[in-house]
Amino acid sequence: MTETALRTPPKPGPGTVSTKNASVRQAGGTFRERSRFAKALLNVLQRTWLIALVFAIWWTASANSTNIFIPSLEDILLSLRRDLSNGVIGSGASYSLTNLGAGLLLAVVVGIAGGLVLGETRRLREIVDPVIHFFRSVPQAALVPLIIGAFGIGQGPKIYTIAFACMWPVLLNTIDGVLGVEPTIRKFSKVYRIPAGLHFRRVVLPAALPQIVAGIRVALPIGITVMVVSELFAANKGLGFYILNSSATFQVPETWAGALLVGVIGYILSLLFIVFERRILSWYFKSGAK
Amino acid sequence: MAVQAAPEQEQVATAPLLQVQGLTMSYGFGDAENKILNNLNLEVNDGEFVSIVGPSGVGKTTLLRVLSGLIRPKSGTVSVGGEAISGPHRDLAVVFQDYSRSLMPWMTTLENVAFPLQGRGVGKKERNEAAAKNLAAVGLGGQGHKYPWEMSGGMQQRVAIARALAYNAKVLLMDEPFASVDAQTRFDLEDLVIDLQSNLGVTIILVTHDIDEALYLADKVIVLAEKPATVVDVIETGFGDHRDQVETKADPRFAEARARILHRLRSH
Repeated sequence: MTETALRTPPKPGPGTVSTKNASVRQAGGTFRERSRFAKALLNVLQRTWLIALVFAIWWTASANSTNIFIPSLEDILLSLRRDLSNGVIGSGASYSLTNLGAGLLLAVVVGIAGGLVLGETRRLREIVDPVIHFFRSVPQAALVPLIIGAFGIGQGPKIYTIAFACMWPVLLNTIDGVLGVEPTIRKFSKVYRIPAGLHFRRVVLPAALPQIVAGIRVALPIGITVMVVSELFAANKGLGFYILNSSATFQVPETWAGALLVGVIGYILSLLFIVFERRILSWYFKSGAK
Repeated sequence: MAVQAAPEQEQVATAPLLQVQGLTMSYGFGDAENKILNNLNLEVNDGEFVSIVGPSGVGKTTLLRVLSGLIRPKSGTVSVGGEAISGPHRDLAVVFQDYSRSLMPWMTTLENVAFPLQGRGVGKKERNEAAAKNLAAVGLGGQGHKYPWEMSGGMQQRVAIARALAYNAKVLLMDEPFASVDAQTRFDLEDLVIDLQSNLGVTIILVTHDIDEALYLADKVIVLAEKPATVVDVIETGFGDHRDQVETKADPRFAEARARILHRLRSH
């Protein structure tokens, strides 16, 4: 009895502590609910104070700016609000994000399929490896004018450009993930004669998935960059075009507004990606493998 | 008891279920050739529990890999039901030593057990029923929804055993299956395997370095020694179906067999 009493943390006995707790309960909600709310609030504060501070400094430091290339944050936000409400940015953003979505999807499909095949067949991997490393080392943004020059100015080439740039991290991570599949699980699959299709789908793919998802996470910001760059050449729509066009016509606040918006979109997408990752890899996070 | 059991076995043993003849295995070539197994012969009858015991590094794992069809021997044959195998075989299921690595963490235990049946084209309802039945047989009834990482080591190894049973192979190969669990869990799992074997009549080949475990579980203990490894002794234990961790191990025949195996291993 004494031993357990010593081990357990001080419980609210029938003394002053318990009455204190009771009064807290009466004040509003249970103690636990309140502490959870406080924790969540603290969490949000912890994650947002720095960005809020950065914007506050930006706002005050740029308030009386006379440099035409550095307009005040107030001007930037006003232009952003104007072009958001009149739909100029809206239509551009939907065009750009469609390209990004299609490009990423293409990159993910090709990257995973190619990575699975290359990861599983050593001979092929050894042949293709130098080519992969050559292409992934080429600066992707530099290829944009060439691809657009070669394939034309429509939406297709922009999507291919994004896909081409985003594919490499997905492909390389998939190969790595496949190579990292636990040897005992491979032995299991062989001994129990799991057919190739099922082996790929239910053994290799899930085992490599944490690595694949990490590759997609790397591909996401690359895709956003290439999305913007692809619209700097031969485009008449999109966020990149908005930025280029405003810059070319000395509408500097608009240029800043466009860049700011791309940043915000990137941030939102990465948040969404974390939610997606937690969902698709719930076994991985819960099992304590990470 | 032992005297009665022996002639019965001889009657059944018209043809051994699993037969290894002249098995030789080595890694490398020429001067670098490292011979692991040398002209190894053994027979396992239908329904028999056979332990293969030998010191660490003698080549037990290599033998098991050959038996499970994962590697091909340099020479010699492994046949199941009279038919020589050339790779993983329908009638051979393996329980791996490391349960934490042989179960797939992205599947529930039920899915893990049912998965090999899916590979064989068994329908979803049927394979899930088989999986649930075999999970119940190893004492994990109603726990199919859990993930392996939500279970203790002993429970995970039970899942691995259920998976091998559900595969419905004639021969179960077990590679040091209890080496990674604590002593008490180990006794529980040993008794579970004995029960399963006598209830289901499955043939089991268990590889271990532990002489007591080999003797306690098996009808027949095959002793591997020498370098390259070969069979140096075969002992019929004759303890019958009923075994008890205390009684059986206190049996004078147990001590005698133990001494004999130790002697065999020392003299080589």
